[in-house]
Amino acid sequence: MNFELSEEQQLLQDSVARFVADHYSLEARRKLADSTQGYSDEHWKQFAELGWLALPFSEEDGGLGGTVIDALVVMEQFGKGLILEPYFATVILGGGVLKRLPASESRTARINAVMEGQLKLALATTELQSRWDLHDVVSTATPDGDGFVLNGAKSVVLHGASADGIIVSLRTQGGQFDKDGISLFWIDPTAEGVSLKAYPTVDGLRAAELTLEKVSVPGDALLGPLHGGYEILDAVAQEATLALSAEGLGAMERLYKDTVEYTQNREQFDHPLSDFQTLQHRMVEMFMEYEQCKSLLYRATLEFAQDGMAASKSVSACKHLVGVAGRFIGENAVQLHGGMGVTEELAIGHYFKRLFVIDTQFGNADYHLERYAA
Amino acid sequence: MDIELSKADLEFREEVTAFLDGNAYKPGEDYAAWRLNWFKAAAEKGGWDVPKWPAAFGGPGWTPTQHYIWEQETATRNLPWDLPFGVGMVAPIIMTYGNAEQQARFLPDIRARTVNWCQGYSEPGAGSDLAALKTKAELSEDGTHYVVNGSKIWTTMAHIADWIFCLTRTSSEGKKQEGITFLLFPMKQDGVEVKPIITLGGSHTVNTVHFTDVKVPVENRIGEEGKGWTYAKGLLAHERTGLAGVSRSLVALEKLRRQAGKVKRGNGSLLDDPSFKSKLARLEIDLKALEYTELRSLARAAAGAQPGPESSIMKLKGTEIQQRIALLTTEAAGPFAAPWGGASVGPSFASGGTQSYLGSRAYTIYGGASEVQKDIIAKNVLGLKAKSKAS
Repeated sequence: MNFELSEEQQLLQDSVARFVADHYSLEARRKLADSTQGYSDEHWKQFAELGWLALPFSEEDGGLGGTVIDALVVMEQFGKGLILEPYFATVILGGGVLKRLPASESRTARINAVMEGQLKLALATTELQSRWDLHDVVSTATPDGDGFVLNGAKSVVLHGASADGIIVSLRTQGGQFDKDGISLFWIDPTAEGVSLKAYPTVDGLRAAELTLEKVSVPGDALLGPLHGGYEILDAVAQEATLALSAEGLGAMERLYKDTVEYTQNREQFDHPLSDFQTLQHRMVEMFMEYEQCKSLLYRATLEFAQDGMAASKSVSACKHLVGVAGRFIGENAVQLHGGMGVTEELAIGHYFKRLFVIDTQFGNADYHLERYAA
Repeated sequence: MDIELSKADLEFREEVTAFLDGNAYKPGEDYAAWRLNWFKAAAEKGGWDVPKWPAAFGGPGWTPTQHYIWEQETATRNLPWDLPFGVGMVAPIIMTYGNAEQQARFLPDIRARTVNWCQGYSEPGAGSDLAALKTKAELSEDGTHYVVNGSKIWTTMAHIADWIFCLTRTSSEGKKQEGITFLLFPMKQDGVEVKPIITLGGSHTVNTVHFTDVKVPVENRIGEEGKGWTYAKGLLAHERTGLAGVSRSLVALEKLRRQAGKVKRGNGSLLDDPSFKSKLARLEIDLKALEYTELRSLARAAAGAQPGPESSIMKLKGTEIQQRIALLTTEAAGPFAAPWGGASVGPSFASGGTQSYLGSRAYTIYGGASEVQKDIIAKNVLGLKAKSKAS
């Protein structure tokens, strides 16, 4: 048994940490978040050059053949830096679908383009009524000649507006809640009938509402088997849940450590705040919750690397705890920073908001508790 | 002990609803004019514009039950906006510790809501430890005025306030609670600089305020020099009771229940979700308890007792419940809790819910952080001695 990172993973971790330290001061992040696009093309180019965009693709596909553990290493550091670039949307979500498709020319071309930084992706699954149920789909794709006509709407599509290609789940047969009968389609955002309404999310990232109105697509827009998209989605969702958990863990680490430091420097009642036992105990709890999350993240990640979908229960356990502990650590970091904690001026508030949003993605704490218990 | 409303109470409730409905804002009406007229009309009812003021100063002299009825009926309606700093906070201090001249000078404008006040208490180095404040007030040689220098922080609505009531240090000898003096002065004058602080919800309600050689006539000092801490402490107890917001929470919880009923979950709604349902129920139970804790406190007050340590319970439990309602609202919104403010996507309550949740984090910090409230209860109610000098 060994919980240490390999030498290569250690190098990867160092390289992401260095990037964060060099490019993601709170001020630099604020500027980027306020820009029209919301992130930096320059950074994206660097991601490509550093090989991070090629990480999860297999060596046969020209990628680095990284595992979920490598993804965890990157996402944890991204969590510490509150990275704004659409890495999660493009590489984990979009890339997660692409790499699971059967070989084809378009698949190869798209994976290559992603790795080179030339193609950004988004995955559109959420609907107005679906909450986090990937099988709850009412938007449709109907056969039409050699192709399909797509109709419906998808919500909170992460980085939808800056994506060059959007992968969308649509119903091709069966009832609203049937897992069978969901198919994945490739959509060109500029195609007729496709509209996107972009907006920022609470954490300073971007999302969009996607509307499909009589969108005609050719037959090869179908990705993977007809009616058989759910299985792919489900697998991508597991990896996505682990990736978000790793990012959350990075944010939690910064929050508890910043709080420990702040309370040692802030004096009230002629003592540093850290002298007060009630605050010490609170910080101990924050630390313990963080460690417990880390353990579950390791457990779920290692089990997933070994057993694939059989690890889904551990993945849910992990996301549940990340939701609960993220809330506890975030809220208490704010509380212990007092007034300063509720301002936009300190990093604390921004980590807190990112954790808040992570709990709204791919199932919140209650959702995964229910899945775990089921 | 009984909870039956008397015939007179029922009649009072009818009178209240008739007044509130009769004076409700009509769409298209000039809001500012309506607002001031509303308070005038409430004054003509016999002090309904200042329900908590003592009868001697024009308050209605209601029984606890009448206050409770008023709270209940007003919570479900849109009242004109009103900052707590004037009528609720500085007025009781002026009534209790100000002289007759000050009372005649300040109370009418406060009551008419024509002058906005803000509270100059917290400082960058003095948050929970308020008595550590350093803003200096030096008496001029001729004894006619003070010269104020220093900084305040988290000053709510300082950017629209006309006046500030301010704790200043006139002496640094003895205990730090001594040597604090309570001054009133206008905000719109040279030497007063207000800078916004943007909070998590992205909004601007609090500020930093800097004073440079601000002259304050001695006539604007409340009570004696160096006794300001005692005056302020009495007010803090008042403030804490006001922060519980039981009626507002009851209304918010009902609203949440209605909204959750419209959120689809499979073939049913979120109200069929066992985990959501039990969180909603727990909130309701805690709120039912707090409602009676407040009533017991009101009854005590009616018997002539000052708001005491139980006001700390109100603040602690009340703010915690407000936070939990806001949080549960974001959970009801699900994935739609993430889109920021103006996005208006998903259920209509989603963006407001997230704003409330982020904003609600400050509830357990301002007006005495929860940790300080617990110190107060430990010391004053349980009679425990603090190991450190935490309160």
